[in-house]
Amino acid sequence: MEVPISTAELLTTDGVPLKQSLKKAERKNKIRAFLLVFPLLLFIIVTFVMPIGDMLLRSVDDTQINTVFPNTFAEFKKWDKEKDELPPEEVYKALFEELAYGDKIQVGRALTRMNYSKSGWKSLIKNTSRAIKKAVKKNEFPDSYKDFLITANDKWADPTFWYAMGQMVNNQTPIYYYNAIDMTYDQDQNVIRQEENRRVYVQTWIKTLKVSVYVTFFCLVLGFPVAHLLANLPLRYSNLLMIFVLLPFWTSLLVRTTAWIVMLQQQGVINGILVWLGILNDDGRLSMVYNETGTLIAMTQILLPFMILPLYSVMRVIPKSHMRAAQNLGAKPATAFWKVYLPQTIPGMSAGGLLVFVLAIGYFITPELVGGKDGKLIGSWIAYHLKTTLNWGLCAALGAILLGVMLVFYWLYNKIVGIDNIKLG
Amino acid sequence: MSKLLKVFLIASFAVASFSAKAVTVASWGGAYTESQQKAYADTYTDPSSIQFENYNGGLGEVRAQVESGSVTWDLVDALPGDAITGCDEGLFEDITTEIADLSTPGPDGESMLEDMENNGLEYHSGWDCCVPQIFWTYVVFYDPDAFPGDKPSSMADFFDVEKFPGKRGVHTWATGIVEKAMVADGVKPSAVPTVLRDQTGALDRAFAKLDTIKDHIVFWSSGAKPLELVKSGEVVMSIAYNGRVGAANLAEGENFEYIWEGQVLDQEYLCLVAGAPNRDAAIDFMMHASTPEAQAEQAKYITYGPMRASGIPIIQAGEPWGPGGVDIMPHMPNTPERLKVSIVSDPQWWSDNGAEINERYSAWMGN
Repeated sequence: MEVPISTAELLTTDGVPLKQSLKKAERKNKIRAFLLVFPLLLFIIVTFVMPIGDMLLRSVDDTQINTVFPNTFAEFKKWDKEKDELPPEEVYKALFEELAYGDKIQVGRALTRMNYSKSGWKSLIKNTSRAIKKAVKKNEFPDSYKDFLITANDKWADPTFWYAMGQMVNNQTPIYYYNAIDMTYDQDQNVIRQEENRRVYVQTWIKTLKVSVYVTFFCLVLGFPVAHLLANLPLRYSNLLMIFVLLPFWTSLLVRTTAWIVMLQQQGVINGILVWLGILNDDGRLSMVYNETGTLIAMTQILLPFMILPLYSVMRVIPKSHMRAAQNLGAKPATAFWKVYLPQTIPGMSAGGLLVFVLAIGYFITPELVGGKDGKLIGSWIAYHLKTTLNWGLCAALGAILLGVMLVFYWLYNKIVGIDNIKLG
Repeated sequence: MSKLLKVFLIASFAVASFSAKAVTVASWGGAYTESQQKAYADTYTDPSSIQFENYNGGLGEVRAQVESGSVTWDLVDALPGDAITGCDEGLFEDITTEIADLSTPGPDGESMLEDMENNGLEYHSGWDCCVPQIFWTYVVFYDPDAFPGDKPSSMADFFDVEKFPGKRGVHTWATGIVEKAMVADGVKPSAVPTVLRDQTGALDRAFAKLDTIKDHIVFWSSGAKPLELVKSGEVVMSIAYNGRVGAANLAEGENFEYIWEGQVLDQEYLCLVAGAPNRDAAIDFMMHASTPEAQAEQAKYITYGPMRASGIPIIQAGEPWGPGGVDIMPHMPNTPERLKVSIVSDPQWWSDNGAEINERYSAWMGN
């Protein structure tokens, strides 16, 4: 027998179809939920998405200088380097005019930018501007602008300055990214390696990655047993021990860094004790600070709590009965640990590892203080260009690459461990 | 609204509007800012109208303030390179006319700028937006107890690890050390800036000289470090900011010796931020802080030298000028005889080439 299925829509008591009514109620909820998260969303957009977007834009932006020298650059592009050693008269004329009538402050900003492409632009243009303004004031316009500029400063006859100008003639440029990996342009805008004695970023990138990986590894090796102990001791002991973990965590970074210097330096506490015990000769004192060893030791200690705390919170909820059950079923303690306990701590290890790695890769104050000649990590360069050279384009490029490196590690991590497997507590 | 709340609100508005009137000076903090407070602010007609705020140098914050249009600093204590760049970029305001009209001339009627030129300084565009403060120097110092026999006395000695074995403290950036290497290589101190500017290969020469002591260097990056390094015996001599050494000698009873030969004099300026909220009051304070008297006064509290030449005779006549009745001239970097063996750093050249040289220096350090 067939059961007839009603094709009529289900209606609610007030006659509206149920589907529609449900949708309506749901939409209300959705709007309410959205309104609840809206302030947070706005906050994230304003404080996170916009600055990062701005940074990414700055890393390729070269519009300021193009608004200052539009004609010079337009003429410059017509220069046939094969045919003429120096740019044609029109380029010199356009430059003369744009320096003579340009806004002083805008030209000043452009100068800072030009000096990144080649050292010496700054004073070259400043001196020339003075000569040009003097001539314009007296209403003396030269017959040959080329000769005028070269007389004002013979560097205008040096083609390398003109070659460097080729880096700036477009509104968008990848040059900052090239600079961030020790590359630059040659005279024909081919990408080449930076002069050998200026290659500093690649070695810094490698050093930064190396230090971050080592620090993460050491934190894991040192943090795991501590977290395990904390998770398995009776509460009153573990609380006391926890204070030993947290106390340094709450202590000022600079205090801890200085304390390490006192401990590690050649005339410091550790070397002193070793010499006193006769283990070391007075001439054979270990150099443990003002080098990479110092950086690793200090950074490991400072970042250790970021490994211990997530590990601890994961380990605490692993039932002790699991290990007992495994051993009961015939596993040796080592096997039980390896097969049963360790896999359950992976979320904690991942969370701690990712935290420590991300923090370590951007570190720069501690390494500068204890690292000596090896203490300049990529963060130092970002700070240096942000504050001292004002090369914000290069800063942005370095920052963007740093962001990229972290995303790659995140992606790798997601592939290998799976991001759902992370647990902070 | 309760009455108490109203009173509180009014009071806080009053405080806010009062503090908005104060001239905010961004400076380096520590003993240096303290000396500025005592020498410039406390001697000013209205000391409470001057407020110091700490910053870490560089133009990053100034540029951010000016670009965003919310300027909170009136004055910035700036290094000459930053003074030049800031003035060129319009981050600092050009006050050439105000300086000409309002600054205090020297005792013989020389203008403030002439007074600075009498001290071995050359005009650069930073002078358009800023007033002079102090000379500070990269000087080598040592603990005489570390050398029982011969004591080092020159840059050549600093670079001679055979004659004076032991480690040297050197900073992690290139300014100062490049010039010193040139002196050690036989260039007359006063000629170093010209040689660096005009001779091709001069920089290679400096780096070749640096190579000879590279394995004997402990690098430092913060100003307090060289004193710890020398005190603990970690190094036998070190480059340091002379004010730090002076403070250790005067206030902490240390007995460090300076090697004045080959010291690199650098400058410090007070600059007016473009769009400063209290522009006129700030200019008035700048003019006060750049009188020869105020500059000499600062030497009472920190051993940096006045950038105006006429400040020196005031100190000489007033000896003992230092704290607790000690003579301060032995610690002043810019006495006439010391200037003869010194290098006056060329900020224009550094502002042209600094970024490139620092990259090279870091590459050299890391290899």
